[in-house]
Amino acid sequence: MLAILQSEWFKLRKSKITLLLFVGPLIGLFIGLTGNSLNVGEQMNQWYAPLFMMNFTYAILFLPLITGVLASVICRYEHQEGGWKQLLALPVTRGKVFLTKYLLLILLVLFIQILYLGAIYAVGTIKGFTDPFPLTIVWKSIIGGWVATMPLVALQLWLSILFKSFAAPFAVNVIFTLPTILVVNSERFGPYYPWAQPFSMMYVGGSTDDVFFIPWDQLLTVVGGGFLVFFLCGYIYFQRKPI
Amino acid sequence: MEYIIQTNNLSKKFGKELAVNGVDIQIPKGEIYGFLGPNGAGKSTTIRILLGLMKPTFGNIAIFGKDLKSERINILKKVGSLVENPSYYPHLTAKENLEAIRKIVGVPKTRIDEVLKTVRLQDAANKKVKGFSLGMKQRLGIASALLNKPELLILDEPTNGLDPSGIIEIRELIKSLPEKYGMTILISSHLLSEIDQIATTVGIITKGKMIFQDSIEELRMFAQQHIKLKVSQHERAWRALLANGMKAELEDGHILLSDQTDQHVAEAVQLLVQQGISIYRVEEDKKSLEDIFLQMTKEELAG
Repeated sequence: MLAILQSEWFKLRKSKITLLLFVGPLIGLFIGLTGNSLNVGEQMNQWYAPLFMMNFTYAILFLPLITGVLASVICRYEHQEGGWKQLLALPVTRGKVFLTKYLLLILLVLFIQILYLGAIYAVGTIKGFTDPFPLTIVWKSIIGGWVATMPLVALQLWLSILFKSFAAPFAVNVIFTLPTILVVNSERFGPYYPWAQPFSMMYVGGSTDDVFFIPWDQLLTVVGGGFLVFFLCGYIYFQRKPI
Repeated sequence: MEYIIQTNNLSKKFGKELAVNGVDIQIPKGEIYGFLGPNGAGKSTTIRILLGLMKPTFGNIAIFGKDLKSERINILKKVGSLVENPSYYPHLTAKENLEAIRKIVGVPKTRIDEVLKTVRLQDAANKKVKGFSLGMKQRLGIASALLNKPELLILDEPTNGLDPSGIIEIRELIKSLPEKYGMTILISSHLLSEIDQIATTVGIITKGKMIFQDSIEELRMFAQQHIKLKVSQHERAWRALLANGMKAELEDGHILLSDQTDQHVAEAVQLLVQQGISIYRVEEDKKSLEDIFLQMTKEELAG
């Protein structure tokens, strides 16, 4: 399993992916630096203003979109010139290959999240915030956003294995991601829409009673359930896919 | 006999069509098994099944005496393969392509240079494979297959796209492997001449069915069935031979003797001379393997 992971990372590292990893955090940084300061009132921590603005664009659009692109990239070179048949004729099981690709993807998303954390910190430093950095809240947001992308990554991996074309899974991703802008404002649909979860879990204004910014039952059913469904579908599909 | 690959009633259905129909392959250790058949006969499907890329609809497969279904990983550790068109990662160089595989099969790094040298790609080692010619990609594919020092090498149409000198080179390479490393090789081709020059055992498949499986010598035996005589008065000559109890056939004004021993031919000639028949030519009627192949595959179609 470790050997497959090393091989996967090697193949991915040699494609021009490193730039992609910086897109989201850089956009966050840009928004944080250029946005007009919201009037958040005296009693609120200074860090909240850029956090609200950055999270909005980053978590609603860029995080879900980038995960889809990463999933496509990780399958693209297998589709291109018979990579699947070469890989699967090696002493590996399909289950491990699928799991490895998934694992690598979520590790990359975690890396992006940490870069984004760096971007938040950079914004505050450049703007000369004096309030203490809201570490707990930011960590909740970073890890929460990461957890929320897990079902989306599973779906995108499944679609990327299914479609040989690069564009098809991306189109699906865009189609589901764009409505998020509207859905997050809906109290009825927001909690149940998987693509809205990265935003909900990164939304620092959310309830802080639970470990994350969304209630446990929502986390378990929408994020956990979504993950199970998408991951199992992809896993089973890959097991049966004729190569 | 120890069989490296043994299949029993191997079949694969695509929809209603049987792409592979009850194939029994037996490949003894150390042989170069030529897997021959026209395009679309089921060669690649069979090979994919042997590598576990596809599941057979029914039938059993034993490789190294182990059941493929239950011991696939252990079997594949000792197998090197090249399936259909060469597979590669276009964004990587030749060396990096091999490195990606090496990490999984876990052989020392020095092995990469060794196999690149074996297939003579060392000069292009650091070039991106996207820019390779088909022949170079094919060599890289063979290098990948050799990387784990396999005991069984499965090569699907490995000389496709190579230029004549490349074909000869690869052929010599493949021929040397069983001797040098004790490998057993399964090589498929739709060209009989290719198999004829390389294989020690031959299996011929057409329309998903195995129609011949034996040593190449056995196949060649089909090739020299007759001694052909061109004589004056062939009709009379033929009757004279038959009257003296010799097996002979009349075909297009020629006499064909099926018993090819020197003695028999001498007797027949002597008899004809004594009968006052002029003998113009005595020759071996050597059918090319190509003819036999066509004949076999046609018979199968007719049947």
